[in-house]
Amino acid sequence: MINFEEELKKFFPSLEVENAEEAIYNQDLTDMADMLIKTLMNSQEKSEEVQ
Amino acid sequence: MFCYNCGRALSEHDFCTACGADVRLYKKIIHVSNMYYNEGLEKASVRDLTGAAESLRQSLKFNKSNIEARNLLGLVYFEVGDAMAALSQWVLSKNMQPEKNIADDYINKLQSNVGRLATINQSIKKYNQALVYCHQDSKDLAVIQLKKVLSLNPRFVRAHQLLALLYIDGEDWEHAERELRRCMNIDRNNAQTLRYLKVVEDMLTPDETVKQPAKRKKDESVRYRSENEIIIQPLNVKEPKRSGVATLLNMGIGIIIGLAVCYFLLVPAAQQAVRAEDQERITAISNESDAKTVRIQELEGQISGFDERILELQQQMRALEEDEGPLPYYDRLLLAATSYMESEDVHVVGAELEAITQEVPLDEMSEGFRKLYEQLVASVGSTLAAEYYNQGYSSYQAGRYDEAIPLLEKVVFYDAEHVRALYTLGRAYEESGDRENAISYFDQVIEQFPNTEYAGYAQPRRNSLAAGN
Repeated sequence: MINFEEELKKFFPSLEVENAEEAIYNQDLTDMADMLIKTLMNSQEKSEEVQ
Repeated sequence: MFCYNCGRALSEHDFCTACGADVRLYKKIIHVSNMYYNEGLEKASVRDLTGAAESLRQSLKFNKSNIEARNLLGLVYFEVGDAMAALSQWVLSKNMQPEKNIADDYINKLQSNVGRLATINQSIKKYNQALVYCHQDSKDLAVIQLKKVLSLNPRFVRAHQLLALLYIDGEDWEHAERELRRCMNIDRNNAQTLRYLKVVEDMLTPDETVKQPAKRKKDESVRYRSENEIIIQPLNVKEPKRSGVATLLNMGIGIIIGLAVCYFLLVPAAQQAVRAEDQERITAISNESDAKTVRIQELEGQISGFDERILELQQQMRALEEDEGPLPYYDRLLLAATSYMESEDVHVVGAELEAITQEVPLDEMSEGFRKLYEQLVASVGSTLAAEYYNQGYSSYQAGRYDEAIPLLEKVVFYDAEHVRALYTLGRAYEESGDRENAISYFDQVIEQFPNTEYAGYAQPRRNSLAAGN
């Protein structure tokens, strides 16, 4: 049987027009490609330091 | 696909041919992103919007610059009624690729229709308010609010789900199932919807596991679903035999019920129809009466207008009678004409015509008046002119110029072409010492009758008078 209170916790307020701009700015856009590039850059810097 | 290091286009090699950077892992990441995008596209095409959104979000986690994935994710959000989330994705997409981006069209379409955008925002606000009501345990208010939300934005899946949850909580299984079916029409594979639907269907379908009584066989009934209802039709059920008295009693009860239905339903309906007909007739008569009243008022207004006009005309007539005006002249002319026709006495007519000529401004009189006047003058003119000339000439010869002048002027009045009268009148004025009038009459003779003997007589006399001799 469904527990109303528990199910209600799965519903969240929807984004309103007034808050859309803030939500867009605060969106975390870091992707795997960014992480890979950052990792590669770091490893490259470290190897240069060792040399 | 472009190199993350130098931005040049990548080849089939695992390194950048321009800068030499190792792009093997980068290429794999981009491929995984594209794979998730393809999966999302397939799911969206079969209306598995939840699955599609999940795949597309995965695709963007691998490559945030996958514009197609971001645009499609926006479309999926928009389809499930979450317009602001859709708009966010399209704005990001537009920022990442400002040119040749279909997200631009989506944004313009949404923003150009201000009314539609306002309706969407209103529905979102109401949905959030409904959620607050749910948390405050005001479930009735939440249901009302969600119904409003769905009237504004019928594709808002989360609102359908929340409403279904409220119905489930209130054990209103039919309505809950209806809302969940609507969810399914929009998003076919939403786990939450499916879970709720399973619960609702379990509640709507009687428990099959309960053992039937041993006497009944398994196939004693036929079950089928009609829309939201489950129909259970029993088989091999025989009606118990009834006695004849019971049948007659039942028929009697049926007839009584039928009569009661007639009395309580049909008779009031017929009475109502008759009343409505009478009411219509009364309304028609009332309208007709109103129209006639208005007509009577109009006619009374016209009558009062006519009365005023009559009074005005009577006043004008009185004023004319007081001023006398031209009417007496008409009477006098008509009397003169009548007396001439009766007695043919030219002297009486002549005296009246001469008086009218002195008193009446002929130019101001009517055409009829002038014609009658001229006709009378022409009728009596020749006779009177001859008579007055004889009398005037005699007076002239006798040296009575004061008598001769008015007589000769009457001759000229009746016969303007009487050249002898004109010349004699000039002579009479000359002899009486009135040079001015004498010259005037001599001029008339010279100008109007230039080749006559009287013009020859008049010319030297006129010259002599003009010279002052």
